[in-house]
Amino acid sequence: MGRDTFEITVNVVKMLVVFLMMVQMVPILVWLERRGSAFIQHRFGPNRVGPLGLTQLLADAVKFICKEEFLPQKAVALLYYGAPVVALVPAALALASIPFSTPVEVSPFEMLGQAWGPYTFYIQGFHMNVGIIYILGVSSLGAYSLLMAGWGSSNKYSLMGALRASAQMISYELALGLAIVAVVLLYGTFDLAEMVSAQKGPLTFHMFSREYVVSVLPNWGIFFQPLGFVLFFTSVFAESNRLPFDLAESEGELVAGFHTEYGGFKMLLFFMGEYGHMMVSSSLLAIFYFGGHHIPFLTEASVHDWALSLAGQETTVASIITSLVFLASFLVKVALFLWFFIWVRWTLPRFRYDHLMDLGWKTMLPWSIFNIILTAVILFLAQGLVL
Amino acid sequence: MMINSAEVLFYILGLMTLIAGVGVVAMQNPIYSALCLVMTMIGISGLFFTLEAYFVAGVQLIVYAGAVTVLFVMVVMLFDLRKEVSSALGGGINTAAKAVGVGIILGLILSAISLSKLGTSTMPLKGLGASSIKEVAVQLFTKYIFGFEIISVLLLLVVVGAVGLARSRGGTHA
Repeated sequence: MGRDTFEITVNVVKMLVVFLMMVQMVPILVWLERRGSAFIQHRFGPNRVGPLGLTQLLADAVKFICKEEFLPQKAVALLYYGAPVVALVPAALALASIPFSTPVEVSPFEMLGQAWGPYTFYIQGFHMNVGIIYILGVSSLGAYSLLMAGWGSSNKYSLMGALRASAQMISYELALGLAIVAVVLLYGTFDLAEMVSAQKGPLTFHMFSREYVVSVLPNWGIFFQPLGFVLFFTSVFAESNRLPFDLAESEGELVAGFHTEYGGFKMLLFFMGEYGHMMVSSSLLAIFYFGGHHIPFLTEASVHDWALSLAGQETTVASIITSLVFLASFLVKVALFLWFFIWVRWTLPRFRYDHLMDLGWKTMLPWSIFNIILTAVILFLAQGLVL
Repeated sequence: MMINSAEVLFYILGLMTLIAGVGVVAMQNPIYSALCLVMTMIGISGLFFTLEAYFVAGVQLIVYAGAVTVLFVMVVMLFDLRKEVSSALGGGINTAAKAVGVGIILGLILSAISLSKLGTSTMPLKGLGASSIKEVAVQLFTKYIFGFEIISVLLLLVVVGAVGLARSRGGTHA
């Protein structure tokens, strides 16, 4: 956790902030989803309560808390109440290991008559050397919350929805994992922060022992892994059970799927889990394929110099400013992907279940294996490809 | 006595794993058994973490907790097994068989513990980042290649068997 009181305090605060950020993003995303759906489908979203309907969310939150607490007669109480809590855990744990920005360097200072520092704080819940494996591991536990909810509610629709959802998650996890294997091959590391730092500068690649630099393009993973990006992007839609893959809750067939029997705050927890999953997926997309926090044509050093001149040579302040600039860059990328999730949801119709399984097993899986082989062969031919 | 945080973590995780492991066997309802199995897997993964074998811990979580046991839970949920299980668990012969089974397994575990050298110093799985993963791969594809490949044959056998069973009874909807 840290060497002294100051470092431990900052690290604890950091974890709380990451968790609260995930929870606080949910109302904003719900508002965006409702306004976005209205915008896309020529309807009216929430537009009466407050400016642009923004305070509608506050009213919704109060409604969620005040709703009647309800347990279906035949439900299994432990699983029924446990499922929404379990839904929140994987996304919160995974988000904690996402590197958001450049580390903040705090030079030594004095406080309360004591000397502190120097410190390096990562803008990340906690730093992990095997970040990807950890994220895959904890997010694969998400299926249990659906299964617990489905079985615990003692409702056939819930059970069918839960089985569909978990089968879908397992199927697409394969394509997802194999797309990530190609990414790991490319960067040669499991550390998310190292992946991000591998993508700085202009597009550079080695081919037949010569180095090529394309200065108009940034050195992002998307240019090395276009197929992997498509596979990963499609799989995360299925993983987070969103349209066009939201077979788990197709209203025409299953009422509402695994959360049929849930209402009020318990329902909201499922939503938080889903949006948390979307945030983790968007962050991973940004880190794997879009340079993490890097801004094209700007280096960390140049931003740091600019911040130094702004802060009057205070290195700590300059480091914080640099970190904030790159944090903004990362969040813009994540926000774009989140908007893409919403955009797709209100544009595409739902798949049929057998089509979904065919796509997962007969199209995505072979293509992702092909992608790995292709990446490996090209890396082998271009030996010494240094990203 | 001072105990450090790693030891506290080990005892908590060990206790969790053991309790959940007993739960797998002791629970009457197969659903709870399967969910206890998940807890056991998560506990074992946590124990690997405390041993600094991060890669194995993650893979344990992905493969066992995240994929294999999900399938168990799914299948158990599809069938209402309560009657079958309670009828299979009663009776005098069953109790005798249980006692013999527990004795055999206890004997196996105790002899395994007494025969194995405790506190081995070479741990190829331990370590951080990509270098330890490379080490795992090298071990797997050189020293343990036969076992590794034979397991895939076993899995193929299981797949063929499952397909054969499903088809001979008129598909999965029989």
